[in-house]
This record gives sequence, C-alpha cells and structure tokens, in this order.
Amino acid sequence: MIAKIVCFALQGLEGVPVEVETDVAKGIPAYEMVGLPDAAVKESKERVRSAIRNSGLLFPLGKITVNFAPADIRKEGAAFDLAVAVSLLKASEQLVGAQTENTVLLGELALDGSVRPIAGLLPILISAKAHGYTRFVVPAGNAKEAAYLRGAQIYPVRTLAETVAFLLGSASLAPLSPEKFEPHLHARQTADLKFVKGQPVARRALEIAVAGGHNLLLVGPPGTGKTMLARCLPTVMPDLTFDEALEITKIHSVAGTLGEDGIVSERPFRTPHHTATTVAMCGGGNRVVRPGEISLAHGGVLFLDELPEYKRSTLEALRQPLEDGKITVARAGGTFTFPARFMLCASMNPCPCGNYGSADKVCTCSPAEIRRYRRKISGPLLDRIDLQVEVDNVPYEALASDSRQESSAAVRERVNVARAIQNVRFEESGIRTNAEMSERELAAYCRLSGEGEEILREAFERMKLSARARSRILKVARTIADLAASEEILPAHVYEAVSYRLGDSLE
Amino acid sequence: MKDGYTNEDLLLVWLAACAELDERAKNEIAQVCARGVSAKQLEKICGALIQTGTNRVYKDDCAAIRQEAEGYLLRLSGAGGFAVTLAGTDYPESLRAIPDPPLALFCAGKRELLNGRKFCIVGSRMLPAWAQAAGKKISSELSERFAVVTGIAEGGDRAAIDGAVASGKLICVLPCGLDVDYPASHASLKREIAKRGLLVSEVPLGVRAQKFSFHARNRILAGLSEGVLVLAAGERSGALITADRALAYGREVFALPHNAGAAQGAGCNELIKQGAYLCTDAGDIFAAFGMERAQRPAVQLTPQEETLLAELRLAGEAHAAVLAGRAGIPVWEAQAVLASLELKGLAVRAGGNQYAALKA
Repeated sequence: MIAKIVCFALQGLEGVPVEVETDVAKGIPAYEMVGLPDAAVKESKERVRSAIRNSGLLFPLGKITVNFAPADIRKEGAAFDLAVAVSLLKASEQLVGAQTENTVLLGELALDGSVRPIAGLLPILISAKAHGYTRFVVPAGNAKEAAYLRGAQIYPVRTLAETVAFLLGSASLAPLSPEKFEPHLHARQTADLKFVKGQPVARRALEIAVAGGHNLLLVGPPGTGKTMLARCLPTVMPDLTFDEALEITKIHSVAGTLGEDGIVSERPFRTPHHTATTVAMCGGGNRVVRPGEISLAHGGVLFLDELPEYKRSTLEALRQPLEDGKITVARAGGTFTFPARFMLCASMNPCPCGNYGSADKVCTCSPAEIRRYRRKISGPLLDRIDLQVEVDNVPYEALASDSRQESSAAVRERVNVARAIQNVRFEESGIRTNAEMSERELAAYCRLSGEGEEILREAFERMKLSARARSRILKVARTIADLAASEEILPAHVYEAVSYRLGDSLE
Repeated sequence: MKDGYTNEDLLLVWLAACAELDERAKNEIAQVCARGVSAKQLEKICGALIQTGTNRVYKDDCAAIRQEAEGYLLRLSGAGGFAVTLAGTDYPESLRAIPDPPLALFCAGKRELLNGRKFCIVGSRMLPAWAQAAGKKISSELSERFAVVTGIAEGGDRAAIDGAVASGKLICVLPCGLDVDYPASHASLKREIAKRGLLVSEVPLGVRAQKFSFHARNRILAGLSEGVLVLAAGERSGALITADRALAYGREVFALPHNAGAAQGAGCNELIKQGAYLCTDAGDIFAAFGMERAQRPAVQLTPQEETLLAELRLAGEAHAAVLAGRAGIPVWEAQAVLASLELKGLAVRAGGNQYAALKA
C-alpha cells in the first residue's frame, strides 16, 4: 500500500510543500529513501525505526521505499522524521481510519519515540497556511512559537505514540489557543539611558537616529561608553508590532536562534565580532542557506564595534542592504532573499592610539596614520551613515555623581511622536522613516527657506560635501524638525544636522 | 636660444640636474654665479668637472653638455615644468641674495609668482586645530598681497595651502623632484597647485625626498620670502630651521603664541622670546611691512551666536556641553550654533566636542 503524508521543506524563509510517499512491498527487507534527501534526512531511517519500535508499534518488514516529492528540491534537516514515521505506519496499515489528509506533520524524532522541536517552524506554518493547509501536528517544544499563527488548528504532540493515538481519534488533543502578542515578554533589557552619564551630544544623536531611522557612528576614545550607548538604542525604539514581530521571528526561527518565548518580542540587537566573515554577515552557507547577522538584526540594531577592524569586503557588502533593506543570497542550491532592514550603529576610535581630540591625553598618531585609519572605512559606506558624533571622555565627577539622567522611556515617547508624524507623512509613499526618503520625497517634504538653503550651500562648499551627503543632511534636518514638531525645517535644524557630519569636516 | 633658455641657463641646468655634484660643490659654484657669471666661465667650470669626473664619454665638449641639458629640459617640459637659473632674469632676487642659492629652480605653474612679493607660512605636521584654522585664515588674507610660500606636507603646510590655493597665489617648495608624489596622499593636491599656483624644487626630476633634503628645502622657503610665519613648532621642529634660516638671511620672523604648556607650540613661544613678532592675525604681518589691512566685511551674527561666541571667547577652548550650560540652552542647540560659527570662521572643532575660539 502507498501512503502519502504532507510535510514542508524550508527554502530560505519560505516553506515548500513536500509529499512523503511510502510504499511497503513484499520482498527482501530493505529500506530506501529517494527524492534528493540530504544526510540528516537519510539518517532519519534509524531514528524512525527505533522510534516506531520504542513506541510499541510495528516496524514493517518488507521492501520499504520512501519518496520525497517534488524530487528536484533538496530536503534538509530532521523535520521530516514525524512525517516519514506516520507514512510508514500508514503504509503498513497500522493507521486504518486515521485522519491524515490535509494534515501537515512536522517534527524530529528521538530514539525513544518522543518528538523534538525543529528550527524554522513558524515560517513553515505561515507558508503552509498560505498554501491552504490549516491542520498541523507540531512538536510540543515548538508550541509557543506555533501559537502565534492565527486561523489554524495546531496540535502539539510529545511522542509518536501520542501522534498515532490522536490521528486514529482514540485520544483527543486540544488545539493551541492563539497567543496574544505582547511586546517585551521579559523584563526590559538592563540597558537604559538613565544609566548613561553625561554624553549630552551622543544622547541627542541617538534620539535623532532612532526617530528618523538614521544610521549612527560613534567616535570616541576607548572606554567612554560607546558600547553602552549603542545598547540603549533598542530601548528607545518604538515597540514591535505583531506583524513586525512575526517577520523577525521567521528569520530567527530559520536561524535556530529563537528563544523559549517562541517569538521575538524585543527589537534585536546584534553585535557580530569584527572577525565575522562576509557570509556570516550577509547570509549564505554551503547547502542550507541561513540568514546572516544583518537579517537577524532586521527590525533592530546591527552594532559594529570597532568599525575599522572589520574586513573591508565585509563592510562593503553592507552597502547594498543598507539601501534596499534586503539581501539576496545566490547559491548553487537557489537564490534566497532575506529581509535586512536594520539600523546600523558603529563605533570607532578617533585614531589608532585612541586619544585624538581627547582633552587630557596626548595623541601620538601622525596625521597620515589617522587618515589611514579612517580610510579603512570607505567613503560610500561613511556617506550612508547620517549621524557621526564624538563621544567624549566623561569627567570623573559625572561618573561618580548619582544624579540619574533622562530614562529611555522618556526619550522613546518623543521618538514615538516623531514617528507618528512620519507615519502620516509617508502614508502613501510606502516608506516608514525619513531616512528612507527618495529624491522625490526629499523635494516634497524637505523644502528649505532661503536662509536654510544658503546655510546648506555654504556647508556644501566649505566641507566639500557629496551630493549624497547633502541629501542625508536634509533628511536628518527633517527628523530634527519632526522632533521639534515643526512643519518647516528651520535654519537651526540645518545647522544641527550639519554638525553631525563629522567625517566630512575631518575628511 | 631654444625655448628662451640661454647658453648660461643650459650650463647651469646641466650642473644642477645632470652633473651629480655634491652640495658643497654646488654651493661653491652658486657663490661664484650669484655675482654674475659669463658663459665662458661656466664652460670652464663644466670642463673642469668633466676632467675630474669619471665615466664621462665626452671630453671638455660643451656641445655634449648642452645636448644633455636640453634633453633634461625636454623631460622637464614633458612633465609640465620649466627651469629658472641663477643666470636668468626670472630668478627671484630674494633668493639670489642668500649665501647658498640653488643653481636652478625647476618649477611648474605660474612663472609670474616668482618675482612678486612672497611670504612664507610653515608649521609642524601635528598642530592644534585652532592653529590650523588660524593659519588657513591668515594664509587666505595674506594671499591678497603676497604669494604664500610653503611646503607640501600635512599640518602647517596644509593650512597655508588651503588658505591660499583658491586665489592661486601659492608657491609650494618640494623636497623632492617635481614628478615625485610626496606625501603620496597629496598627489592630487600637488596637481591642483601646479594648475593654480606654482610648484618649485631645486632637485632634479625623479629624486625622492631624503632626510637632508628638507633641510635644504627650508633654506629655499626662507630665501624666497620676505618673512616667515611659524604656526606651530615643537622644540625640535623643522619649522624652526626655516625660521632660523630666515633670521640668518635677514628676513622677518613671526610666530603664533601658544599655550605655555603645549609641547606643539614650545618652539613658537621660544621664537617670540627671542624677539620674533607675535602674530595673532594677518594684520600683524601687514603692519610689520607697513601695509594697511584691508577693511573686512563684518560678520553678521544672531543674538544666540553672539552669546555663545562670547562664552567661547571667555573660555578660549571649551566643551559644547559646558558652553551650552553657560548660555542656558540645550547642547544640541549649542551644537547647531557652534556649527554655524564654524562655518563663519569664528570657532573650530578641536577634537571631540571641544571647540576653540578663533580671532575674527
């Protein structure tokens, strides 16, 4: 008899339906798997055999053939175990009368018959639902993640035996009740702006950056709190909406970095080390294409500490995603597109010794050394960083004083107001923040008064700005005006925006 | 004569570029030549050199020498340059007056700058931001009356270049051949100077800068100019050599005053102690030469800019947050105002969020 069970294979962030067909025929006992399974799928033979035996069921004797259709896509991972086991049981007529049609079975089996959680469940469920499937059997370990899918009956199972009983109708399982999304499932991150001493300039830049979705570069001597400031970024960003959370969770689910909550409820903050390769950063892999750090930072912050230490090629690879908000990874196994709309925050020392511009320490670097150090970051990349600020040495008194500064919550409120203004402005443009404005929107929303135009022209000539830098200044000025709830961009806003173009004045 | 080069010119070019003489021999010849020299005398000198020299294929044949010199000049004009020799009329008189003038100058750019009034601005390669900004300002104002003479390195030289390059009244004296890019990062700057101003070098094409060539170059800087302004100099800075040469040649020496504790300005303060003019703006230099400083348009300031500038002047150098506190405005507003003051040339970012006041 031939049995067919539906399962899903992951291709990038999309699930593709795969039919697991099993035939048990008379003949010399054999067990074959066809249909482009990879090593982990082939190894399921042994897991399935043991799991069936240890669940008190019968492993059929005979010539067994398992086929994965369609045969042209590569099947990876252990998510097919449960489907293979059930199709085997069905083919050996142990599941007579069981309801397996239109049911998607997902899960990895342990030798004792228990069902283990799998990576990438949520994206599979979302794709499967789009394909018209609404009945799912999933590992109980993935229940939290699965519960965020609306409009489907999802049954969490612990063991193979439980699955069989459920399918036969001899035991009833309660479907998961949809979980309501709450941002910040756990207590907020420990980072908070109220713990940052001093740094009024950097704090302001942080606020502007988040309000307008701008990228940020923190320049300062070692140990001045650049990393701490960066860690505060997610705490002032607006709360995640459910759709955003789902999108982010999909990526993290595929990468297998989803925590116990089953959903990403906090904006991601990724800090890849500077030894990270381009593939680690952008995504890729030998056969399985996994999202890289920039996709894991989608919706949140990608923090690159000590920017000049990163490999040049790795940094250059960020340029395109910074513009497009997505990355397309082409591999032999296919071409996959991952979302990568992140906010870039980078930090660096002002010079190799770290003391350039320091009030109390002497810099021992020659101008040529400083220039060489800064040149490690290409002009085009620097051009894409709208806000460049100096982080100073905090005087001892400020460190020791117990006076707490403004908290992240207070800043976030102002950010939310500025974002609301932008939401109204860009309702029909299909963008969300000032930083994403194209030339057309710039012309429409960033008109300058005669005086403002004059300032910008002067800055343009004195600082030898590029055309892109000019439009970046305009965008930042727009955000500053939004924070001030000003319809018009005032000269003061332009000046402030100009004061954040450190890189240009230092060349 | 061909391309306007006289017989004497050719012989001097040969001596300067092809004869492979050492410094002392060149100086001896220069001292003879500075008093005026005929082609015959030069031929004699060349002939004597050939006889003592080794591996020369020709003997006492000035035609061959001229041919070699013409070949060199052809290469020079191919590189966009020309030569001016001690025997020529374009040779700057101020340089002819020094005890050890170069036999020939290889130049690229505007020839007429050689014989106008010239003033030299130098400074060490690392200098405080305010000194850099002040140097640029002074250089720009001086270039209305003088051609600004300087080197082509980072720091002080760069400040002088930035100030004067727009007007084109700029002479950069190189320590290396005209076709050598030193420093490499200033290669495009060098091309721009050749286009707008003048590049000068006494060393032949293709010769790289050596330690000692800076020393020799500094004597040309001082020798060309009526005066020298030192923007910043440590205790053993090369800029002091230029000042020292200027004194020896009887030229005026000016120096920016520095913070007493700052190592980068110790040399400047020492110069002032020894009697150099204390210079805070271009007016001081004009005054020393008996010139009137041109009326400068008053800078329009908003009330907020006035307040902040007053605070900055009081402090001399201060952190943006401190200034904001004193003026009673948020830091980011202060940043914006300071940015506008920076654009108006009244303040400069001194690293970090420190700002320094500049003299109007």
